[in-house]
Amino acid sequence: MSATNAPAATCPFSGDTGTPAPSSENLRDSVVPGLPQTSAGVEAPVADWVTIPDLYADPFPIYQRMRSESPVHWVPAVNRYMVTSYAACHEIEQDEDRFSADEKNSLMKRSMGHSMLRKDNPEHQVDRDSYGSTLRPGTIKKHWNEIFAANNEKYLGELLAKGPGADFVWDYAAPYTAENLRLICGFHNATQEDLQRWSQTMIDGTGNYADDPDVWDKSAASSAEVDAAIDEMLPLLAKNPDNSLLSGLASLPIPLEAIRANLKMTIGGGLNEPRDVLATTVWALLNHSDQLEAVKKNPKLHATAFEESVRWVAPIGMYPRETTQDVVLEGVSLPQGSRLGVVLGAANRDPEVFEDPEAFNIFRPKKPHLGFGGGVHFCAGTWIARAQVAQIAMPALFERIPDLRLDPSAVSVDAGWVFRGMTKMPVTWG
Amino acid sequence: MPTITFTQPTGEATEIAVAEGTSLMRAAVTNGVEGIVGECGGQAMCATCHIYVRPEFADQLPPISDDEDEMLDCTTAERTDASRLGCQVKMTDQLSSIVVDVPSDQE
Ligand code: HEM
Ligand code: FES
Repeated sequence: MSATNAPAATCPFSGDTGTPAPSSENLRDSVVPGLPQTSAGVEAPVADWVTIPDLYADPFPIYQRMRSESPVHWVPAVNRYMVTSYAACHEIEQDEDRFSADEKNSLMKRSMGHSMLRKDNPEHQVDRDSYGSTLRPGTIKKHWNEIFAANNEKYLGELLAKGPGADFVWDYAAPYTAENLRLICGFHNATQEDLQRWSQTMIDGTGNYADDPDVWDKSAASSAEVDAAIDEMLPLLAKNPDNSLLSGLASLPIPLEAIRANLKMTIGGGLNEPRDVLATTVWALLNHSDQLEAVKKNPKLHATAFEESVRWVAPIGMYPRETTQDVVLEGVSLPQGSRLGVVLGAANRDPEVFEDPEAFNIFRPKKPHLGFGGGVHFCAGTWIARAQVAQIAMPALFERIPDLRLDPSAVSVDAGWVFRGMTKMPVTWG
Repeated sequence: MPTITFTQPTGEATEIAVAEGTSLMRAAVTNGVEGIVGECGGQAMCATCHIYVRPEFADQLPPISDDEDEMLDCTTAERTDASRLGCQVKMTDQLSSIVVDVPSDQE
């Protein structure tokens, strides 16, 4: 390499100073985004055997079968094409010209407004840039880590006070990540409980395919509460700025409608995911004592365990895209206007890319997973999630409760497919 | 059109002609250059577009922004004085026929 050493700087997340990782074959080779497709492609097979309750309980055997048959299926129960191979998901992410995020009749737009997540560029970039440096590594290091550590101390204390048998998700991970998100957003006029309620009810709206009026009512009520909270905070933060998203937005010429939609999307996407990945990672480690011991001995492995967990159980298991033209995707032809589900939960377990993909294994060769998405919508909160979970919560947790274990007298439950995580995780110690 | 030459650790070089305004990352990804992933699509959020710019072109590069600087601390391969994020360097006339090295261990 024709280069001299720069002063050593350390990545604040992995603690890495850039030590070479084991190399692996290049994954992108087979994917050349934007290239015109020459062959006509075959029609997508129909997976009429897939049901929503089965997906909810355990989607992974379903994905195994789908991937082995075709990278893309039409799935009547979901009323979309589901894309399950790594190569096809990656191709979609990297090509927003053919695969638009601006889905028609989007339930997310109905429940949260038209946020950056459902816009294409150039419009998307204006909104994305309006988030400034709040979620970036520099601000995390200078500002958020200290706040996350204090919040962690508080909610770990509450878990301990509750005593053995407490639920790891609901008595610790949920309030901890909700309180972090409250401060990141700048809702000094709300509680972490408000954030949890807003998040869940609006997410339920986003998934309200059954058109349940009660779900819409609750989602609309939360949406109105968020609007009121934003209206109150913007002038206050304009006068007394801090590092929050709303504070940055208070001084920008961004339409209120966009601020509202982006904040609602962030409330929906910035709480459950770190909560779920924290619980899933700890659950997986508690089930694999050899890996747990390794992490306890080498604190750098917290970051590795976090990343493997996001690969193994992608907290956002599927997100939508829509074709802007007739396309051939990995040999399957899709007409213009097709509604696609990009199934990250399946792509991340593609045996073409990951050896023994169904296993949780922090020692596997490092390869890029798609858990944070890719392309221009690549998760804006990636580093916030890494910091609050892998850098702050996990090390403190195993230090404060070294003998933490799953409660043998109660079952843990992992569930979900569009969003997947632990819904019940009783733990014990002492 | 300006050209970019991507040199692999094996010594193999690929020359690509690109329109002005195209980033090094986009040029590499569109042309299937090995070792440059560009996972975040140029948001300076993933550091998988890390490259080393040959010293003779250093003067002509745009300055490193704070965003790029903090992300360069998170690269998989070692950061050096020559390190840049490919997505933050756009092709201009001054840069025509730039030569860059692709890190050996970037997935
Ligand atoms: C482990 C935790 C997380 C995971 C797995 C995750 C995953 C994702 C994924 C897959 C997307 C892209 C979805 C799409 O393209 O449709 C996304 C976008 C986004 N995420 Fe996250 N996320 C996490 C945590 C967070 C946190 C903590 C925040 C905020 C504090 C956040 C904020 C955002 C935002 C603002 C976007 C939209 C980016 C854009 O459209 O340009 N995420 N996330
Ligand atoms: S493409 Fe992600 S940092 Fe450059």
